[in-house]
Amino acid sequence: MFKLIAVTACPTGIAHTYMAAEMLEITASEFSVQIIIETNGAMGTEHKLKKTDIDSCDAIIIAADIKIEMKRFIGKPLIEVSVTEAIRNPKKLIQDAMDGLYKIYQD
Amino acid sequence: MKISELIDLPLIKLNLESKSKDQVIKELSNILLENKCISDLKLFIEDVHEREALGSTGIGFKIAIPHTKSKYVTKPSLVFGKSVNGIDYESLDGDPAELFFLIAMPEAGSNKHLQALALLSRNLIHEEFREQLLKAKTKEKVIKILKTIDQT
Repeated sequence: MFKLIAVTACPTGIAHTYMAAEMLEITASEFSVQIIIETNGAMGTEHKLKKTDIDSCDAIIIAADIKIEMKRFIGKPLIEVSVTEAIRNPKKLIQDAMDGLYKIYQD
Repeated sequence: MKISELIDLPLIKLNLESKSKDQVIKELSNILLENKCISDLKLFIEDVHEREALGSTGIGFKIAIPHTKSKYVTKPSLVFGKSVNGIDYESLDGDPAELFFLIAMPEAGSNKHLQALALLSRNLIHEEFREQLLKAKTKEKVIKILKTIDQT
């Protein structure tokens, strides 16, 4: 099964972070894709990605309007979008991931 | 913390009169003032606009969720408003918004409140949940729908 991981984050960390996470989860299940999502919100970081999650994933979606810790993703196929993009166009994000259109992340 | 502890009948308005984004933020904020949930209307509204300036909270799907963590919030609250004709909220999909949630959090908001709001946000992504709110004709019905969040 295709394995995705994602990080969602927004400035206030009250609403968009969780909407984007929910949208990616629903869409991933429609595509029968596995997804693990780290949310960086006002409650702090939840479901923090483990090194094994990162090592074993096929692609990474960063849907964030604030800075997040990126070094851990070096060498993995990754896309960076705004948090609203994940809410509006989740299907394209996931389809592009499966089609291998993400670039390898470099520092 | 449950969503039902943040909202009650007086914090619901089913026939918003506003025609613009600025007006609706004011109309919803006024409800907070009337219910003594904020200490200063003008300064609270400024804080709401400050968040909007980072990107409209009109997320599409006919929903807008203006929100702020503000020192003028005296009681963590959620106001729900509905506009029958829709209001241009500079939404991401360009469509008018009909369902409005104004989230007012004190600056030192507890995680318990935030947990409830995170769940609300997640539920709003689901079409069935939005449809129920769009169809709700009474404030009591709105509360009943929102309470289903507390059961998840």
